[in-house]
Amino acid sequence: MNETITISLLILIITTSLLLIIQRQSGNLIPGLPGQKIKNRNPTFIIAGPCGSGKTALFSLLTTDTVKPTVMSQEVNVAYDYMLPSTVKHLKFNLMEFPGHVKLRYRLFEALKESSTIKGLVFVVDSTVDPQKLTDTAEFLHDILAITERVPNGVDVLIACNKSELFTARPARKIREVLEREIAKVIERRAKSLSSVQKGEAGAETDDTNDGFNSHGPLLEYNSTKGFKFEFLEGNVDAVSGSVQKQNIDKWECWVDERAIN
Amino acid sequence: MEQFVVFRPSGEVLYHFGASGRKLQEQQVNKIVSELVGSPPRKTSNNGFPVINLGSFAAMYTSTMQPHVFYLVTFAAETLELSQLANKLLQLGTDLWASLGLNEIIAQNLSGRNEKNEHNFTWCLNGAGELIGKFGEYFGAKFDEICSETRSLNGEAQQQTQAAPSLLGSVSKAQGKSKSKKKPQKGTGVKNRKWGRDGIMEDTYEGDSSTLDFSESASDFVAASESRENSVVDESTFGTRTGKGEFLIKEIDELLSKSKEVKSRQQQASTTTGAFGFLQKHLMGNKTISTTDLKTTLDKFRQKLITKNVAPEAAEYLCSQISQDLVGSKTPNWTSVEAVAKQSLQTSLTNILTPGVSVDLLREIQEKTATVDGKGHKSPYVFSVVGVNGVGKSTNLSKLAFWLLQNNLKVLIVACDTFRSGAVEQLRVHVENLAQLTDSAHKRGSKNKRGKTGNDHVELFESGYGGSDLVTKIAKQAINYARDNAFDIVLMDTAGRRHNDPTLMSPLKSFADQANPDKIIMVGEALVGTDSVQQAQNFNAAFGKERNLDFFIVSKCDTVGDMLGAMVNMVYATGIPILFVGVGQTYTDLRTLSVKWAVDTLMS
Repeated sequence: MNETITISLLILIITTSLLLIIQRQSGNLIPGLPGQKIKNRNPTFIIAGPCGSGKTALFSLLTTDTVKPTVMSQEVNVAYDYMLPSTVKHLKFNLMEFPGHVKLRYRLFEALKESSTIKGLVFVVDSTVDPQKLTDTAEFLHDILAITERVPNGVDVLIACNKSELFTARPARKIREVLEREIAKVIERRAKSLSSVQKGEAGAETDDTNDGFNSHGPLLEYNSTKGFKFEFLEGNVDAVSGSVQKQNIDKWECWVDERAIN
Repeated sequence: MEQFVVFRPSGEVLYHFGASGRKLQEQQVNKIVSELVGSPPRKTSNNGFPVINLGSFAAMYTSTMQPHVFYLVTFAAETLELSQLANKLLQLGTDLWASLGLNEIIAQNLSGRNEKNEHNFTWCLNGAGELIGKFGEYFGAKFDEICSETRSLNGEAQQQTQAAPSLLGSVSKAQGKSKSKKKPQKGTGVKNRKWGRDGIMEDTYEGDSSTLDFSESASDFVAASESRENSVVDESTFGTRTGKGEFLIKEIDELLSKSKEVKSRQQQASTTTGAFGFLQKHLMGNKTISTTDLKTTLDKFRQKLITKNVAPEAAEYLCSQISQDLVGSKTPNWTSVEAVAKQSLQTSLTNILTPGVSVDLLREIQEKTATVDGKGHKSPYVFSVVGVNGVGKSTNLSKLAFWLLQNNLKVLIVACDTFRSGAVEQLRVHVENLAQLTDSAHKRGSKNKRGKTGNDHVELFESGYGGSDLVTKIAKQAINYARDNAFDIVLMDTAGRRHNDPTLMSPLKSFADQANPDKIIMVGEALVGTDSVQQAQNFNAAFGKERNLDFFIVSKCDTVGDMLGAMVNMVYATGIPILFVGVGQTYTDLRTLSVKWAVDTLMS
């Protein structure tokens, strides 16, 4: 009697530890970005963008079909196994919406690195912003692209030009052009910036492997004669106008739909 | 009082109440949230709720965890009357919210076990519509009452002001003490005036006005609105004055006191213990974390952080962040409490060290130097470097100059250290080196075409040694000189000064006012340890209320190994970002900070 208990206990302990080990290890088995642990393997759509562009409003419109008042987010919004009603049933993906505050953007960058199957990224932009002031937005988009372009075949990006119902809204075409131009400038500036501190450089170990990585990851490919064009990227970049307030987001939903099926 | 808003950190507005039916003003809330996210950690005083004053308006906020919900009251200005009112409203709002069971509904919905809509999603207020309506009704009723109470109290207060100039002070004192509910009967020998809970003066004595004590009346008013503090308050007598809506208010009060009882009972209930609890905690996961579970882990973390040079107060803050984050939450399957806490510590450290603003120096320099004044001169971009003696101000200034020179910018280095002997000569050596690095044909010791040390790219501006008046004079002259001679950058080296010596620190303010640098950089060394908190605070305060430091350079990072705690201390104390770190002796050993690197090093 005593023996059976001991044996069963032993088996229990062994299986538990095995399970634990497998769980710890499995993160590294699936190939992704070098040196990055993959934590999210589900098909995922990401909503990102600068502050006040209407990301959370879009998220709640997508998830609850109603426009709700929102304030600045401090946390990530996630809808697991989200379904678009228009698509084929059983086609589920995760929908994640990230805060736009500069201090919280690292979460987006981390999530981008940790996800293996990003189906698409919706970059929400306030289309009423003066094109002269899109530099920050361009910087943000550049940082995102610098990560997504490391994934084989890249990630498709939708520049969702929100608030098109307002009088001062610019056409999507124009915003796309301005962003292209500004990203070219960002790349130039980043190339000149000081590189970031790395492991071993300031520590006790002296490991002299300087990969030339910039603080914001590797630079996007850039050809100074041709300038920067979204066409050069691996992933497709589309700019489409729409309005969350007026619930006019059909085109964006279509875009998501197409990528969800693939 | 402008508005009362309940929102989740995910950005969803759960409820909002605008004074006289006004619409939600997102701008105000956004400003507050931005302040909350970006500002240095606030020490929460145990006296009431934290207040944020943004000039055009003020706000008082509080938050609950599990589920994480923010409550916010904004009001026109930070006056005593309005703060008092806001305090009451906030207390009422949180109590009502909790007692109506809204938190449970939200937690239930967020856990994802509830019914889902066609998008396979559960909105966090699903099925709470009725309760929210009830909340609105109750809150509205109480709001009217609290407002009229405060008005009558202040009306009386106004009457008394002529007789009692220090009245306001005593009210505020009373408000502070009202939480403890004990009336502070001071044995001053002077008889106090008393006010009944209906706001009518009961007995009046002639007495010294300076000892007027409003604590009784104030505490009673507060107690009425937070009867959870005070279950003895006789609900039957309360509210008789209001007449209309009396029943409703009695109902609310009953609700509030009931929820208090439930809460205290819940706290007594013990959590799972024994072998199973142990297994859950260390191996199996899926355990609701309590304060006792975290205690040993947090002690361990605190010790570890302190050995890495993190100041005890910063370590304490980080640990409190972890427990705030985790108490009441559930660990994932097969994860120990310690692993979860470690993850949380990593997040807190990243949160602290990540800059709240993006600093792109090259872009700012381009923008500034692109503007041309009336005479066709472009204005230079001015940096000034401050810090304690021997932290490496001149060295890091030269490193910065080297980087700027590599970007084809014309740099003027200004010797504003007119105090320490040899400071100017030291800078001259740096300028000679930099001149040689930019142009190998440069001969050491030769003068350029303007007769100064250096060459066309880099030049030294010096004016000998002298007192603090000379410093501001040199600074102003140098900026004009740079403008006339089309320099892009002015780098000012200042004298090192001890941060706790006011006579040395005070000239900094006039220097900053006169020279008005675009960026004030403080150089701090990674070696310093706990004192870095004070250093950062004092230097940040030295420029007056209007001006702050812009960023830090942390030098000598190569000498401390993994003890990078000074970085955390400096950002913790001021909320100002670290932009560069110095990692060696040569001109190229300046790097931008990588938050990931710093956090990984600290966690190792």
